[in-house]
Amino acid sequence: MPDWLAYVNDRLGHLAISQAESSQVREELAAHLEDNYLSLRAQGISESDAVRLACDQVSSWQELRRDILAAKLEAFMQNRVSQLWIPGLVTLFGSAALLAVFEIVGLRPLVIHPGNPSSLVFYFPWLLSLPLFGALGAYLSLRARATGLAVHCASAFPALIMAAALFAVLLVALVLDRHGSLRIVTTAFAAAILNWFLLPGFFLLLGDWLLHFAMRRHAAPN
Amino acid sequence: MIRTELKRGTAELAILSVLERQTLHGYEISRRIAQDSGGALSFTLAALYPLLYRMENRGWVRGDWETSETGRRRRCYKLLPRGRKMLAPLRAEWADLFRAMRRVAKVNHA
Repeated sequence: MPDWLAYVNDRLGHLAISQAESSQVREELAAHLEDNYLSLRAQGISESDAVRLACDQVSSWQELRRDILAAKLEAFMQNRVSQLWIPGLVTLFGSAALLAVFEIVGLRPLVIHPGNPSSLVFYFPWLLSLPLFGALGAYLSLRARATGLAVHCASAFPALIMAAALFAVLLVALVLDRHGSLRIVTTAFAAAILNWFLLPGFFLLLGDWLLHFAMRRHAAPN
Repeated sequence: MIRTELKRGTAELAILSVLERQTLHGYEISRRIAQDSGGALSFTLAALYPLLYRMENRGWVRGDWETSETGRRRRCYKLLPRGRKMLAPLRAEWADLFRAMRRVAKVNHA
């Protein structure tokens, strides 16, 4: 009997999906060809004809690879939405809405060096609420069967968005204000990164860590 | 376009229908469809798997690896509740199509 897995590997080529998924696809296609071949042999068809008929199952391996990748990519896009974007946006809008509420009710942040480009802003009530949102983002992502980095990104999503926005502002500032003081711009940027990326990111990921810790405790025997 | 959609619709209904009765692996699915349709419908490997993966993405079916008594590993597909829910509307669509074709092209059931 032919080595159907080797046959599939020779013809299918590289699949731009994870190694594990690619191996499963190859094994499944090889199993199908093997079953087809064995069924033909059981009907009394000669070995060479059974091999030929089984191989006729695929007229174009290139087309099959394209179709499989399209199907798998559809899954990847769906997973990204449910595992990252939706949990991340819930975390972002939830934490932003709470910050707006704190502003409306008059809770003021602690500002060190006010009026200075390097002023530090500590929004303690908001920062202390962030572990809840971080845990919520991680929970929603895990519920959508996400693993690893996607869960942490969903949890720290608001901080990541702020970092991206700050980098964009920095670039614009550097381009538009070429004659301005580079030191002032970079100092203000460093302060903003601390205020809106590092500190919120830390508290959001603390929620992510606490959720994982609670889940491990819950899953552990006794 | 219509031809492709029509073929995909046929395949989806056929696959869901055979999986409604029992869990099957890919080759058994194609064999069962060919057998039940008297050979009128047949799915090659190239047509079957991209479609099965799409149906799996949509949560209609789920494939799990199983090892048979002979030691062969096969990925067996099981119909999920979401797939079961799709059966009734798909069947209704096909019944409508047959009725329409009967009126327009005088196509009759065998």
